[in-house]
Amino acid sequence: MAAMAAVRCALLSHLRVRVESPAAPAVALSFVHIFRRRFSNEVMGSFLDKSEVADRIITVVKNFQKVDPSKVTPNAHFQKDLGLDSLDTVEIVMAMEEEFGFEIPDNEADKIDSINVAVDFIASHPQAK
Amino acid sequence: MASSAARAEVLSLLRSLLRTATKFSDYNIREYAKRRAIDGFRDNRGLTDPSSIAAAFADGKSQLEVAKRQAVVYSLYAPRIKSVMEAESP
Repeated sequence: MAAMAAVRCALLSHLRVRVESPAAPAVALSFVHIFRRRFSNEVMGSFLDKSEVADRIITVVKNFQKVDPSKVTPNAHFQKDLGLDSLDTVEIVMAMEEEFGFEIPDNEADKIDSINVAVDFIASHPQAK
Repeated sequence: MASSAARAEVLSLLRSLLRTATKFSDYNIREYAKRRAIDGFRDNRGLTDPSSIAAAFADGKSQLEVAKRQAVVYSLYAPRIKSVMEAESP
């Protein structure tokens, strides 16, 4: 009986699992993960280059049916220079959302009335693709 | 449009209709919904009588509800083959 108990005790002490040591690196690792996640491009998005944004927006505007492509300049105002109305502006902003793959909230969309404003807004938006 | 608040509301309704239109899985329905929304607003842009403006706005709102519901229903019966109009050009 005593021999069995001794064997059991020896076996258990041999099998004892150390809990603390693997836990510490796991915590450190998760901190690294959080850090990486927080600053990775997938989560935070990344800002697009302003000249690239401008080129793509000008292409979107030029492709709009009612716009005369020769009138489109980087400083063009939708209503004053391109002869568009507020309904066309809504359409163009929607086309930009499609181009850059994100949704522009109503209060921001209402402010976009020229190519310049659109470029500034989209270049400062991390989710624009 | 009478006031700028009403004007913003109308533009917001058009935007919602266009957003809902993009959710249809069938190319033809998607394009129709978009075209219909734009044409409807354009037809009514000359309205000045407040009661007819209110009627047109209410009609647009009810159409938005219909479009939202139908986008969900049609998504259950999405076409298995894309329209040739959606094919990427080589």
